[in-house]
Amino acid sequence: MPQLAETQREFRRAIVEHDTAAIVSELVGGRDPKTRLAIHQRNYEKSLVNALLTKFPATHWLVGSACLTEAARRFIKIRPPRAPCIAEYGEDFPAFLATTPVAQRVPYMNWLAELEWHVGKVAISIAFPALTLGDLTALDPSKLSQAMLTFQPGVHYLKTPWPVDQLLELYVTEAAPEQFQLAPADICLQIRGARGEYQFRHMTPVEFEFRKSLQRGRTVGDAAEMALDIDAVFDPGQAFTCLMTEGLVTAIA
Amino acid sequence: MIPSSCSHAPIGAGIGLRLPHLAEIVATPSVVFSTKSSKRSWLEIHPENFLANPHATELLLEARRDFPVSVHTVGVSIGSAGGIDRGHLRRLRSLIDRVDPFLVSGHLAWSTHESEFLNDLLPLPFDEEALHLVAAHIDEVQDALGRPYLIENPSSYVGFAGSTMTEVEFLGELVTRTGCRLLCDVSNIYLSAHNMGYDARQYLDQLPAGAIGEFHLGGFTPEEDEAQEIVLVDTHAAAIAQPAWDLYAYAVERIGLRPTLIEWDNDIPELATLVAQAARADEIVSNVFAQRHQLLEVGLAAVG
Repeated sequence: MPQLAETQREFRRAIVEHDTAAIVSELVGGRDPKTRLAIHQRNYEKSLVNALLTKFPATHWLVGSACLTEAARRFIKIRPPRAPCIAEYGEDFPAFLATTPVAQRVPYMNWLAELEWHVGKVAISIAFPALTLGDLTALDPSKLSQAMLTFQPGVHYLKTPWPVDQLLELYVTEAAPEQFQLAPADICLQIRGARGEYQFRHMTPVEFEFRKSLQRGRTVGDAAEMALDIDAVFDPGQAFTCLMTEGLVTAIA
Repeated sequence: MIPSSCSHAPIGAGIGLRLPHLAEIVATPSVVFSTKSSKRSWLEIHPENFLANPHATELLLEARRDFPVSVHTVGVSIGSAGGIDRGHLRRLRSLIDRVDPFLVSGHLAWSTHESEFLNDLLPLPFDEEALHLVAAHIDEVQDALGRPYLIENPSSYVGFAGSTMTEVEFLGELVTRTGCRLLCDVSNIYLSAHNMGYDARQYLDQLPAGAIGEFHLGGFTPEEDEAQEIVLVDTHAAAIAQPAWDLYAYAVERIGLRPTLIEWDNDIPELATLVAQAARADEIVSNVFAQRHQLLEVGLAAVG
């Protein structure tokens, strides 16, 4: 193996795992190069922990700085970033939080983190011009069932076993009620945003599955059949019209 | 074919555009135009802050109508033994083509090991193996981006016992082998010279002046390490220190006028503070050239 590759392997071990044994004898700088190496160790840890704390501010608020910082420290050791764009780092952090001891006491913590990850993503998107019902007049009605839709980029569908949108609302509005009771309840949320704004919409399970499957590339016909299997009185025509009038669809093919 | 020089480069001091200031600059570009350096103002971005942020990119393109922009990469990892992330280069190219910057630059450092990005600018040994690798990577990056790629001297806390040349010799050799240009970070020179025990002015004297396309100035933080030594840490979290301003004046005197950037990435202050730092850089340049003009007049008078 070329020497540089080996040097970088050992340097990485010193930075991420704090195992400096192999690299420190290669280094020079100051009275003790090991103390200088600590600057790089700190840069790595501090920058990534800060990135996670900044990305999950409501979770930070919910469980406190010490708790989330400790979780972030452990996370960055086992899952360093895989790409140079740190804004994209942290997608797996909510799932990691679910495995931490705090999740036993705060079982909705990872769901709040999951919600704010998606809020963060949709809020930095941009909305494109939406198709209207009038745009569909050129489409052969018999081919509509085979059509696939492209949604606005700032839309995500999230099902959670806790109404964590209420927690996020408390955080955002800085409301501090004397008592707040959060009871487990399955909720189906549409998270929509663009240019720094976002909104939630609670949906029925069937409407949620219809939209989610369309967004994932199923045809209108397949999505309608799947929805009717869930709820026989579901009205696909009405649901489709709602999609269009809400400006969620940017292309149809 | 990579163009060998950069056209339309502004000559005054610019500021690093960070996301907290983006909306303000778009809404009121005059905030940056409010000093006497007005028409020469420019902005520098870290493209990695925009690649996954379409809204910020949209605002950046609006700001681009009012300001020249340069692109300073922080994730290219030109010194990685495992190669350059070509997917990242493709994303950079796409953004750069939209922004059309007057300069594109990055660091003499490595950050990626195998598939992990370590989010720091890590040091390289200065030897033939690293030189060969970095030179090849510069060619690869310039080809992928379709533009010249300036290389910035690092901020150093440690070096390698096995280095066979100094940092400045390494940079000079890179210029000779690749024809690349350099970004001279004056604060890094001051900081590294302090931390590694060499003479900052001598380092500047040895840099190939004709290859330098840009200056950077950033704040650093003195810290006492566990060995009770004062180490200067490149935090970009403070105003430019006086010794760095002094070294900048020396650099301008020795190298000449180049676009100069004020970097401030942590504990980011009000925009006005950055604009004031940029105005100070412009003032130093004016003083250097005024002194030079005065000397010339005195010399001419003596001859006459």
